[in-house]
Amino acid sequence: MPGQHLLGLRARPGLGRLMAATRITPLVHHQLRHSSTAAPRRGPGPLTLTLTSAVALTLGLSIGTLYGRLTSPSKPLQLESHGPNSTSSSLNGPVYAPRMEQLHAAEEIARLLGQDAVAYDEDELEARGHSDWSTSNSPERAVAVVYPRSTEDVVTIAKICNRRNVPMVPYGAGSSVEGNFSQPHGGIIIDFRRMDQVVAVHPEDMDVVVQPGVNWVELNKRLTQQGLFFPMDPSPTATIGGMVSTNCSGTNAFRYGTMKDWVVNLTVVLPDGRVVKTRRRPRKSSAGYNLTQLFVGAEGTLGMVTEITLKLAPVPEETSVAVVPFRDVKDAAAGAAALIRAGITGLAAIEIMDERQMEILNKYGSATVKQRHWAEQPTLFLKFAATKETIGPDILRTERILTEAVGKVPFEFARTKEEEHALWAGRKESLFTMASIRPEGTQMWSTDVAVPISRLADMIEWSKKECSQLGIFASVVGHVGDGNFHVAMMYDPRDKEQTAAVERCVKGMMKKALEMEGTVSGEHGIGIGKKGSLREEVGEETIELMRRIKRAVDPKWVMNPGKIFDWK
Amino acid sequence: MARLAAVGGALPRGLAAQRSLRLGSSAFARASAGVVRFNSNETTPHPPPPPPRRPGASFQGQLTQSISQRLERERADLERLARVRKESPVARNFTLTFVLFFVGSVSWWLGYKYPRDVDPNSTLPLSATKPPVHKTAPVNLEAAWADFVEIVGQENVSTVDTVLQQHATSEWSTHQADPAHKPFCVVFPATTEEVSKVMKVCHTRRIPVVGYSGGTSLEGHYTPTRGGICIDFSRMNKLVALHKEDLDVVVQPGIGWEQLNEELAPHGLFFPPDPGPGACIGGMIGTGCSGTNAYRYGTMKDWVLSLTVVLADGTVIKTRQRPRKSSAGYDLTRLFVGSEGTLGLVTEATLKLAVRPAATSVAVASFPSVRAAADCVARVVADGIPVAAVELLDDDQMKFINATGSTTRKWREAPTIFFKFAGTPTSVKEQVEMVSKLAKHAKAQSFDFARDANEQEELWSARKDALWATMAQRKPGDHVWTGDVAVPMSRLPEIVEATKKDLRASGLTSSIVGHVGDGNFHVILLYGDKERKIAEECVHRMVRRAVEMEGTVTGEHGVGLVKRDYLPHELGEATVDTMRKIKSALDPLCLLNADKVIRIQKPARGEVTDW
Ligand SMILES: Cc1cc2nc3c(=O)[nH]c(=O)nc-3n(C[C@H](O)[C@H](O)[C@H](O)COP(=O)(O)OP(=O)(O)OC[C@H]3O[C@@H](n4cnc5c(N)ncnc54)[C@H](O)[C@@H]3O)c2cc1C
Ligand SMILES: Cc1cc2nc3c(=O)[nH]c(=O)nc-3n(C[C@H](O)[C@H](O)[C@H](O)COP(=O)(O)OP(=O)(O)OC[C@H]3O[C@@H](n4cnc5c(N)ncnc54)[C@H](O)[C@@H]3O)c2cc1C
Repeated sequence: MPGQHLLGLRARPGLGRLMAATRITPLVHHQLRHSSTAAPRRGPGPLTLTLTSAVALTLGLSIGTLYGRLTSPSKPLQLESHGPNSTSSSLNGPVYAPRMEQLHAAEEIARLLGQDAVAYDEDELEARGHSDWSTSNSPERAVAVVYPRSTEDVVTIAKICNRRNVPMVPYGAGSSVEGNFSQPHGGIIIDFRRMDQVVAVHPEDMDVVVQPGVNWVELNKRLTQQGLFFPMDPSPTATIGGMVSTNCSGTNAFRYGTMKDWVVNLTVVLPDGRVVKTRRRPRKSSAGYNLTQLFVGAEGTLGMVTEITLKLAPVPEETSVAVVPFRDVKDAAAGAAALIRAGITGLAAIEIMDERQMEILNKYGSATVKQRHWAEQPTLFLKFAATKETIGPDILRTERILTEAVGKVPFEFARTKEEEHALWAGRKESLFTMASIRPEGTQMWSTDVAVPISRLADMIEWSKKECSQLGIFASVVGHVGDGNFHVAMMYDPRDKEQTAAVERCVKGMMKKALEMEGTVSGEHGIGIGKKGSLREEVGEETIELMRRIKRAVDPKWVMNPGKIFDWK
Repeated sequence: MARLAAVGGALPRGLAAQRSLRLGSSAFARASAGVVRFNSNETTPHPPPPPPRRPGASFQGQLTQSISQRLERERADLERLARVRKESPVARNFTLTFVLFFVGSVSWWLGYKYPRDVDPNSTLPLSATKPPVHKTAPVNLEAAWADFVEIVGQENVSTVDTVLQQHATSEWSTHQADPAHKPFCVVFPATTEEVSKVMKVCHTRRIPVVGYSGGTSLEGHYTPTRGGICIDFSRMNKLVALHKEDLDVVVQPGIGWEQLNEELAPHGLFFPPDPGPGACIGGMIGTGCSGTNAYRYGTMKDWVLSLTVVLADGTVIKTRQRPRKSSAGYDLTRLFVGSEGTLGLVTEATLKLAVRPAATSVAVASFPSVRAAADCVARVVADGIPVAAVELLDDDQMKFINATGSTTRKWREAPTIFFKFAGTPTSVKEQVEMVSKLAKHAKAQSFDFARDANEQEELWSARKDALWATMAQRKPGDHVWTGDVAVPMSRLPEIVEATKKDLRASGLTSSIVGHVGDGNFHVILLYGDKERKIAEECVHRMVRRAVEMEGTVTGEHGVGLVKRDYLPHELGEATVDTMRKIKSALDPLCLLNADKVIRIQKPARGEVTDW
């Protein structure tokens, strides 16, 4: 039955053809030929034989079919088996429509949403199929990009794609770095750039309702009048939809937590086109399963987020920045750990940059940054956010705790707003500066692990040692305030040996992080790059549980397939 | 055939999805139709075909033709007779059996493997559910009892009636439990392995299971509506490992939050969520609880790093290790928090800890009206003053506190806000000053703050004893109902005032207390058996008001049995159907705390009250 495999999941003609096939088995044929004339009967005659086997055939078929179907829903939870309700094709994984079919789906969408809502342009597809920032890109490309304008548009898209078995890949700003939006199975990209409205601001409830295409920097610009802000700060280009889906964080996470802590509710279009809103607008709730946070960090594999209510924080009355260079990375990490444990309320961010980063600042930083001479040593960047009265004592206390932890260190804090900006700019520019000096042809591999605070110093030191043996540019930056840091490495992808070495090094780092009871992804997500590592982190059984959830919500496995974990 | 069709019609009645039901019977119909045709076309003996008559053929010709035909026929008959004689009856019967068996099993296999459509739906509507089949016949339960005894020892399986009663409902539950709803036995496991083994027994024997930790939940959370067994975690009450340096702790589910905090105090750490006295970590995870500290520290879900969970079939999973943050895969941890034991049983939890603040203080301000009090709270929240707790007690509540005389002070019987401050001595002093300014601005009639630890204790105890003070007003036979909703901050004064008015009109003794910093408040109602209906309706109206104000039907107490039918109104059918789909994916046999949070079976007529 090759025809049914095409669409994967439908196979109507099976039974009829089956009957036809059995009807002409030689055995039966033989019986039939001799049934018309009377033959001496001893034992059952051919007629009886035929009739009974026909009944057996029917009974067998129908009971088998029904049994298979009836048992499936109540099949006991068995993590390793799929139960007999899966189709023969879906047993081996979902089967997607071929590219031509996918194009037809795109055309159908264009007919319903308008021609300008769909693009087939190669450049547009290429731009969304690949990222220089990303360590994992897949060679396949989608067949089209669609630009919905509303939740209803997204519903239309989902219905068509689900019916036609076309993969759907949501896309925000494309700043994610683990291949989270690549299209290993082709399909259609749903780009949310036209859904970029701030729907409602509720200053008195300290929340805001936005569409997924809203950029967080723009949002914060709009909110300053209200004295409010949204604390997550990943890539300056990132959109709320993508931030929700990677459960991002950033420098503010030490004080303010991560994305999951800031989402009040989500409107999600499920793969079959149904729309769910996970909550209304209470600040807290115990009403039913926490779907909100199931969709946060799901990387678009369970549905498409089309509206988000976010909590907001009041802009702190007073902020300041301090920069503290240390003898070595180990000391810096130890200092950070001491600060975390001290529970200083005014401390909002603890960031680390190693000596390589500081060197880059001195050499290639912007004018503001280059103005001062940075000590080329592992450095902690500290941000304070508090009231006018408490900020002073908090800064003093911070200095005291660092001294207690690692001895006297040069502790420099900003006395003016300009100084504050100049100091923090150092931290902010690091990644872009690094990217801009990247030699032609090389790629950047940025790892992202998090470990319990007590293991942080060991982990950073270990990683630095491993990377330095590679003989390539490698440098540590990170949000050490929550035990999370990145190692950025520049390597030449054409150099097979080097690439393999970098890969080995990264794998080693993951392994080490897990040994230290950490995680393989502090904030970037799993995408296609870290599927293997995730399995090592949580174990096959836990992955199987995630699969169960995925299969329940996305039975046809059409939402951003190939990410986080595979079908099998 | 007719009988068969009838069987076919009856069989699929309980199919999971209507869609597959339709498919099922149509496939069946197709199959049967095929057979009928099969019979009539091929097997009914036809009358011998009339000899072909060719016009113009001679008589002679016709004669020779017919003779030769007859000869041929006879020859064939003879041949066949000879052949048939050779076959013994045994061989024939054997052939028949073989053919039947072969055809039957091949076609069964084909039918079984017949590719079915994947149900393309992302949700599971109530109308498509089929009632779970549990095996709670005494024979099965008694056999299971023997299995449990083997796993945990006889002393840890109880069938004593008082124990069973205690695990069925409580005095403070808002759900009036059916006396028949009690567990067959209570099992007290000591390890994750034991829980897993017990769960495996229940899974193979299809026995429903309810988890039980502190038993302080309020909405009928652990009432065993389908019998079965209760797993009590009270023996699993150990602190497994304290990682002081990492600010986290690994505990078993049966440890109480008060006990945990006692053990943490010497290390200068504490665990912020503070629900009812006696509550344990397992149940707190179950309900996604919070408490007075939630304004500053967030709710239970913010304090769980990782969970070890025994799933419905006994599989043990761990959701994470111990990183402070992670973006690795689905957030299963938070899916289990607040799932009320319907998705799995928590047997170990890694919790975040907070550093015990260097200094704390308490202040109490009374206001002319609830609205004035709420305004003050709104200002404090908007200014981002990091107070540790903001609690509202209304005039009735203050009156009851005076009446019990549990504190030495006489309180002004007006809407009152209790503030808790935490931080360094300077920051606490500063916070107190700022709040006092805001309170005056909001027309506070008084503002007192504690000057020392004793006074702090004294002031705060009034807040803590609120429920007991109200319960002390009970007449004999009275019950208590604690209602719980939350709304966006700006709607709080409105809903509190409306609810207050409604309560006054109802004539019931009642008070309002709330964790108002996050828009959450409770009513405490006292009612006699005859007033049950009035109380129900009061709470119902309050819940409806909260939903209309974009709030939630439960801020922290959870859904249990009482609030299931509110969920579709708060969240929409599709959202609840998604939850149901997840429930059925994780627990297809519906063994775990069946009927809680979401319905798994269509309600009986009249069971659901109108919205
Ligand atoms: C310079 C730089 C700095 C960075 N710094 C940080 C940092 O400090 N912290 C941090 O956490 N990350 C950081 N990142 C990573 C990145 O910014 C985050 O992962 C961000 O959340 C991605 O947002 P996006 O809008 O670009 O999403 P995309 O990359 O477009 O998408 C991310 C994922 O979300 C899915 N998705 C997008 N929109 C939707 C939707 N509406 N519904 C459902 N799924 C959707 C996509 O399918 C994809 O799986 C950095 C990246 C760069 C390039
Ligand atoms: C006086 C009083 C004051 C209260 N104040 C508050 C308050 O301020 N804030 C608040 O949030 N709540 C409050 N509550 C409600 C109650 O304390 C909380 O709901 C608490 O979280 C219940 O914990 P428990 O250990 O008693 O759970 P239980 O009642 O034993 O169980 C609660 C639920 O969790 C499930 N469960 C139990 N153990 C496990 C396990 N190991 N794994 C999986 N599921 C499990 C049960 O099946 C049940 O569904 C109060 C209650 C009282 C009586």
